[in-house]
Amino acid sequence: MDNLKEELKKQIIEQLNLEDITPADIQDDSLLFNDAGLGLDSIDALELIVLLEKYHGIQVTNPEEGKEAFKSISTMADYILKRKA
Amino acid sequence: MFYISAASSISHQPTFKNAGFSAFIGPLTESSALVSPDYKGFIEAGLLRRMSKILRMSVACSKDCIEQAGIEQPNAIVVGTGLGCLQDTEKFLNNSITIEGLLPPTAFIQSTHNTMAGQISLSIGNHGYNMTHTQNTLSFEHALQDAMLLLNEGEKHILVGAADEYIEILTEISGQLNIRPETLLASGASFFVLSKEKTTASLAVVKDCVTTGLVQDIPEKIASFLSDNGLKASDLDLILYSGASNGLNHDDVFLKTLPASLGKCVDYLQLSGIYPTASAFALHYAADLMNQNKSLKNILIYNSLIQRNLGLTLVQSIEA
Amino acid sequence: MGVRITGIGIVSAIGLSVEENLLALTEGRSGIAPAVFFQEASRNLLVGEVKVSDNDLKTQLGTGAANISRTSLLGLKAAREAWGSNVHTPALRTGIISATSVGGMDRSEVFYKDYLAQNNPDFSLLKTHDSGSTTERIAAVMGISGYINTLSTACSSGANAIMLGARLLIHGKLDRVLVGGSDALTKFTIDGFRSLMIYDDQWCRPFDESRSGLNLGEGAAFLLLENDKSIAFSGNKTLCYVSGWANAADAYHQTASSPEGKGATLAIENAIHRSEVTAQGISYVNAHGTGTKNNDLSESVALKNVFGENIPAFSSTKAFTGHTLAAAGAIEAVFSVLSIQHNLIYPNLNFRKAITETGLEPVTSLQTDKPVDAVLSNSFGFGGNNSSLVFTKK
Repeated sequence: MDNLKEELKKQIIEQLNLEDITPADIQDDSLLFNDAGLGLDSIDALELIVLLEKYHGIQVTNPEEGKEAFKSISTMADYILKRKA
Repeated sequence: MFYISAASSISHQPTFKNAGFSAFIGPLTESSALVSPDYKGFIEAGLLRRMSKILRMSVACSKDCIEQAGIEQPNAIVVGTGLGCLQDTEKFLNNSITIEGLLPPTAFIQSTHNTMAGQISLSIGNHGYNMTHTQNTLSFEHALQDAMLLLNEGEKHILVGAADEYIEILTEISGQLNIRPETLLASGASFFVLSKEKTTASLAVVKDCVTTGLVQDIPEKIASFLSDNGLKASDLDLILYSGASNGLNHDDVFLKTLPASLGKCVDYLQLSGIYPTASAFALHYAADLMNQNKSLKNILIYNSLIQRNLGLTLVQSIEA
Repeated sequence: MGVRITGIGIVSAIGLSVEENLLALTEGRSGIAPAVFFQEASRNLLVGEVKVSDNDLKTQLGTGAANISRTSLLGLKAAREAWGSNVHTPALRTGIISATSVGGMDRSEVFYKDYLAQNNPDFSLLKTHDSGSTTERIAAVMGISGYINTLSTACSSGANAIMLGARLLIHGKLDRVLVGGSDALTKFTIDGFRSLMIYDDQWCRPFDESRSGLNLGEGAAFLLLENDKSIAFSGNKTLCYVSGWANAADAYHQTASSPEGKGATLAIENAIHRSEVTAQGISYVNAHGTGTKNNDLSESVALKNVFGENIPAFSSTKAFTGHTLAAAGAIEAVFSVLSIQHNLIYPNLNFRKAITETGLEPVTSLQTDKPVDAVLSNSFGFGGNNSSLVFTKK
């Protein structure tokens, strides 16, 4: 689980081109789409859907479904494990 | 009369935040590269991370212009671009052909020609008229004309500029199509605040700008442009022209049209490198020259980068 | 003061002429279907395709086998119809302003595929890539030189071309001008909207609660605008006027429209103000109405902001033509002219249930019983680029 979270952080930084951010800057439970977190937006949400397919083989066809899953690193990791189970 | 109250360029020359640059720049060499500022000082990190070169240049120049002009908001944002956001266009085209599954959307979103004007409005919170002209080598002139119309309609300050970006494949394409292999292909952005009223910040005046697509008689067009503005060829202190193009000798046209202007011609493409909107660089260069050298009263920018399209812009000193 | 419209031309998924488009609109017949001519589209993808091949277009237009993009071919067909039997004269300054989002991308894609595969790519295909060349090509065949310009502001481009043409006439820079837009279907744009997850695999359903995206279309439309001097020469009859126009930036997000419809509201209000028609005087609104969740909600909010409880009859015609991007504003301008000429209000196809948040119901069947004196046409694009036009009978 912790490995998956670390992987996700690296993948997100690469996919979203977060230039000045390192995995250590992202807390597992901080809100990705909140300005206090990473301040991501709707375009990033689509990029995260691409990320899930590219690295984890998971397809999200409804963007609404992504919204819940993409709240934080922890919820993303939970979502991936659930979909793979 | 339209006053240039601010000018900002990012180019292969040290033009950015460097008033007076015209005094010491020379022709570009083959190894020259884009001189970029640290964009973090101008653009929020959240927007910056997605931006290609052309977007970074455009937003940074725009913000610099607004600061120079000392205005809160321009009434409108008008941009010219010949080839638009090439880097993102090629990236998305490549993805669309090579990736089987889902495609990342960012490059598509940032590929549209109006991304510069849109990102400028976003980064300064501007709700005014927002326009993008794309007529290859006349894109900047058309944007400039639109800005002049807006000022005549009663607006006060227009942010107007142009940008184009070089990507690697252009070298191969221009070689294959035999397009001007002799001069450096470059990137560049030049933005201006064009204002109705003269202020202490005013650098120069844009007196007139005329475009002719699919032009037939260039000498005749230049002659009527000058006479419409009450000038003779001998009144021109300097002509900034767009070099030799496609094997046609421009100097012939000059000789026929402007007998008195020999020795007062500068090929601005040698300074800016080649990109479709390089005439915007020429306008900044002209304004900067006039600010240094008070003897320059009338400068003609003669743009025939593509021979079939003619752009003429008359720049005058504030006192002229 | 309005500007006279004296000629119209159109080619879209519902017809290759003004007459054919009018017939389909009155019969409620959509042109959206699986692609036939566009080879790159995946099987059964719904598109608003113009039902004619490039080769047939070239033959019809007499352009020969030359390297010419579909965008130029479609534009040329519409421009010819709008120009009609007008003749050139040195006494009149004639210009052309077109709009396109991706220019000759249809040819560039062919090149780039071969380029990546190192399969002897034909570099000359790229000569039609830039948007400006699309318009120059049309101008060259039409015999127009002088003011030749292209606007590219994504999905609002066509409306902006009409606005700029009207302004140039009012400022006395031109005597007559062909204004419009053209875009061909491309893999680039189809994949682009799919990557945004707003391409509906079913028929698009503008303003419907169940809407889930757009269907792309292709086409072109042009209008001929003339000043009094030009009319004195041509003797052309005025079809109607373009009387109001405005463009405003939403400045909210690169792709999404603001929930309060700020830019759209500004564009609509300013266009109506310029037209000197009152808000109550608008007989019909041809909405942008793409069928995406975001646009239709934001546009509905903007309509409420401007018109309050008295929203005029409105519909989106995108379910007829598909979303034709830069051509949309011009195609819908032609529909607006026809609406005024024939007192028609078009149905919003595929509508069942109003959007919960706003409850607005578009017109769902053809209306022919009310005079149409003024039409508002909206075109909103990426980068928060919002444009509105007002067309009037007088």
